Amino acid sequence: MSMLTADHPGPQSNYLTHSRGILSWLFTLDHKRIGVMYLISILASFFVGGVLALLVRTELIAPGETIMGQDTYNRTFTMHGAIMIFLVIIPSIPAALGNFVLPIMLGAKDVAFPRLNLTSYWLWVLGAIFAVTSMVMGGVDTGWTFYAPYSTEEARTGVVYVTVGAFILGFSSIFTGLNFIVTIHRLRPRGMTWFRMPLFLWSLYATSIIQILATPVLGITLLLLIVERVFQVGIFDPALGGDPVLYQHFFWFYSHPAVYIMILPAMGIISELISIHSHKHIFGYRFIAYSSIAIALFGFLVWGHHMFTSGQSAVVNAIFSAITFSVSIPSAIKVFNWLATLYKGSISLNTPMLYALSFIFIFTIGGLTGLFLGTLATDIHLHDTYFVVAHFHYVMMGSALIAMIGGMHHWWPKITGKMYSEVMGRLAWALVFVGFNVAFFSQFMLGSQGMPRRYHDYSDTVGNWLPEKTELFHLYHVISSIGSYVMAIGFFLILFYLLHSIFKGRRAPANPWGGRSLEWQCASPPPHNNFDTPPAVGDCYDYSVLEWDAEEGGYHWREDVPHPNGEET
Amino acid sequence: MTFLPSIPNLLATAAEGPVGGGFWMPRQASPIADVVDDIFFFILWISVFFFVLIVALMVLFVIKYRRREGQERQPSASHNTVLEVTWTIIPLILVIIIFYVGLRGYVGMVQEPLNAYEVWVTGQRWFWSFEHANGAVQSDRLTVPAGRPVKLKMTSTDVIHSFYIPDFRLKKDVVPGRYTYLWFEAPEPGQYQLFCAEYCGAQHSQMTGIIEVVPADQFEDIITQKANWIDDYADEDLARAGLRLYPRCQSCHTLDGSRLQGPSFRETHRLWGQQRVLDDGSEVTVDENYVRNSIINPASQIVMNYPNVMPTFQGQLKEREVRALIEFIRKLDEVVDESGNPIE
Repeated sequence: MSMLTADHPGPQSNYLTHSRGILSWLFTLDHKRIGVMYLISILASFFVGGVLALLVRTELIAPGETIMGQDTYNRTFTMHGAIMIFLVIIPSIPAALGNFVLPIMLGAKDVAFPRLNLTSYWLWVLGAIFAVTSMVMGGVDTGWTFYAPYSTEEARTGVVYVTVGAFILGFSSIFTGLNFIVTIHRLRPRGMTWFRMPLFLWSLYATSIIQILATPVLGITLLLLIVERVFQVGIFDPALGGDPVLYQHFFWFYSHPAVYIMILPAMGIISELISIHSHKHIFGYRFIAYSSIAIALFGFLVWGHHMFTSGQSAVVNAIFSAITFSVSIPSAIKVFNWLATLYKGSISLNTPMLYALSFIFIFTIGGLTGLFLGTLATDIHLHDTYFVVAHFHYVMMGSALIAMIGGMHHWWPKITGKMYSEVMGRLAWALVFVGFNVAFFSQFMLGSQGMPRRYHDYSDTVGNWLPEKTELFHLYHVISSIGSYVMAIGFFLILFYLLHSIFKGRRAPANPWGGRSLEWQCASPPPHNNFDTPPAVGDCYDYSVLEWDAEEGGYHWREDVPHPNGEET
Repeated sequence: MTFLPSIPNLLATAAEGPVGGGFWMPRQASPIADVVDDIFFFILWISVFFFVLIVALMVLFVIKYRRREGQERQPSASHNTVLEVTWTIIPLILVIIIFYVGLRGYVGMVQEPLNAYEVWVTGQRWFWSFEHANGAVQSDRLTVPAGRPVKLKMTSTDVIHSFYIPDFRLKKDVVPGRYTYLWFEAPEPGQYQLFCAEYCGAQHSQMTGIIEVVPADQFEDIITQKANWIDDYADEDLARAGLRLYPRCQSCHTLDGSRLQGPSFRETHRLWGQQRVLDDGSEVTVDENYVRNSIINPASQIVMNYPNVMPTFQGQLKEREVRALIEFIRKLDEVVDESGNPIE
């Protein structure tokens, strides 16, 4: 079947070797290369955001000024939040892993609009440069939420440029979502029905719906902010006749669904990882698929729970509290279905699986602590304290980013064609898992005891602090900072062994874990075209047709089962 | 090493909790705190139950069904509608109960009792000021009677702040351009921490205060004294009264010449009777009118190279208090030394 011509090199050719030179990367239309470029850019942003986090944790390790003054501190936590949310977590799974995996999993040659895909990437780069330079140069200290009227004051000129950056990043996100929706609707090969799609694709589909429906609202909000700043039109600033609480409604109308842009694809990855590494059919496929869509829809109706103390009426608070609880049900369904998938499985505890299991552990804490915040009586006390900081780090970092790291390890052999060191992988996982929980669990107590967030200092020598508060907060801040250092060591270890694997790693087989979805039927790394002929589609969670091949170090199709393509792979 | 705390001491602190408080929650200083904590622990125990259940099952399955050489996987179902509906319904019932309990507690928080003692609260960067009905004005320290409901009517002169008393489990945003309300009742006399919980800029973490709850029978005397304190100062001694008002200025204006958000009072004092350059290049004479105008309408004359951040104090200071501040700056040398310490 292979035609050996100059255009179509031998079977050894893959997307990495298909063409050469830096320009062949920068202007590539290949979804796999765009995915890899996203992955590198996002990991670089994660490094910057992570260093800023360590600076914040170090400042807070003792009361009083430790390593930086209050202005620098306020800029540092603002940059940490903005980078981690807009540049890392929101694009991490869809744009990096999703771009690489989605078309192959679906059985397509590329996304529906490859040029739009490349545009998305370059918009991301442009937005990132815009946002980061203006934060550094303009000393933006508003927090990533840009609450008016603080952000619309004259002194904060940098805000305009950062919001332009966030506006551009929003378009990058919208284009990716649009591309994925069209790809899933139009490019499914024969046999790939909606309910044969791997659950990761369902979750990316649900995510894309939110991206194209919610992100424009952020764009409009940021534009209004700029209009107010530049033309002095009263929209949010009461000094000009505006309403600052209106800003919060607009902002959270996007930013709450954005939480599901972060967590839904993570849940999709976990569904894949739990099933494949347990070598067992996913339990309750339809419930998991529907719950992704349910979360995407309910997610639009709960934004007001960020504003229980804002002065909005008690009736509105009650309604938002009630709807908020509805989101917890589909999340609970997923957790129970993952547990049922483990039952009577054949569980391999390799690195991706360790991340998947730790996701269940961390997400359970993150989800359950959400109950305290959805409940009106307790949220009044906990709102804007470290309890909230701990909660959203459990969900956004401990769940969304941990799933991203797990997914990266899972598809690393596919992306690079190399295996990393399992021993190092497990060691780094242990450091990240333990470090994370030490760093952030302590913050639950810090918050329930009353420490407000975004505080530079908690010393009883300045202002009106009661000494008893300072003493208690100090303890938890020390524990939290130590945890963050342990976690940082873990992440550096990951960086080290993954880079090492690219140069010195063992060659990866096509199917190292025994996955049944279509990307594992491609070579590692995949060829430029993914599939020369449309692949035959079966039940992507039926592993009984695969068997272990010790010689190859991977799985292949059982000889006694006819291959659906009628040929050998 | 002073950097790290004494770990044993701190662990002891955590185990005991803060004064009168527990491991999770600070002391309960209002009847509402009692209600909130009951709900908190109700949710906590439900959460602990589900967390232990989920993690125990996960660990059990991982151990029991871990991959072993040559072992065939046992067959098991890939879905079970009855089971899945069950674990949809049970959490649904539980969250409905939690919602209801939380709502009931919240209604108790927002229903204001009659006959509350009312205080007007103003949040501004970076301090709180409190105006009592008898004209007493307090800054960063609010004195209220024990055992009587207190209602706060709050607004901000600049950005959004949030009025948060952890020991009362109460919080409400303080928004410019509108009034928000909060009420509480503290049965026990004592001092309770007040925080600003909505990020408001440079000195957000110093926008703290103390709620001072005094026995109800002493309250009337204390607050009357606070209303009339400035009348105890003779005219020639007004500069010293200004020193007592100075804590409301100190987050932006120093006494030792060093620079914060606003010009140091030392600098203004030094320039008394001379010209000062404003940000539009014009000049103004530093005198009584200049200081008065800077307090009442600060945006009208911004000193060169300083940001326009000072809010107006119109209506928050009595005429005599404005005069006290003018005298304080004019006679700064007589009241404090070079480093800003009071001269006896």
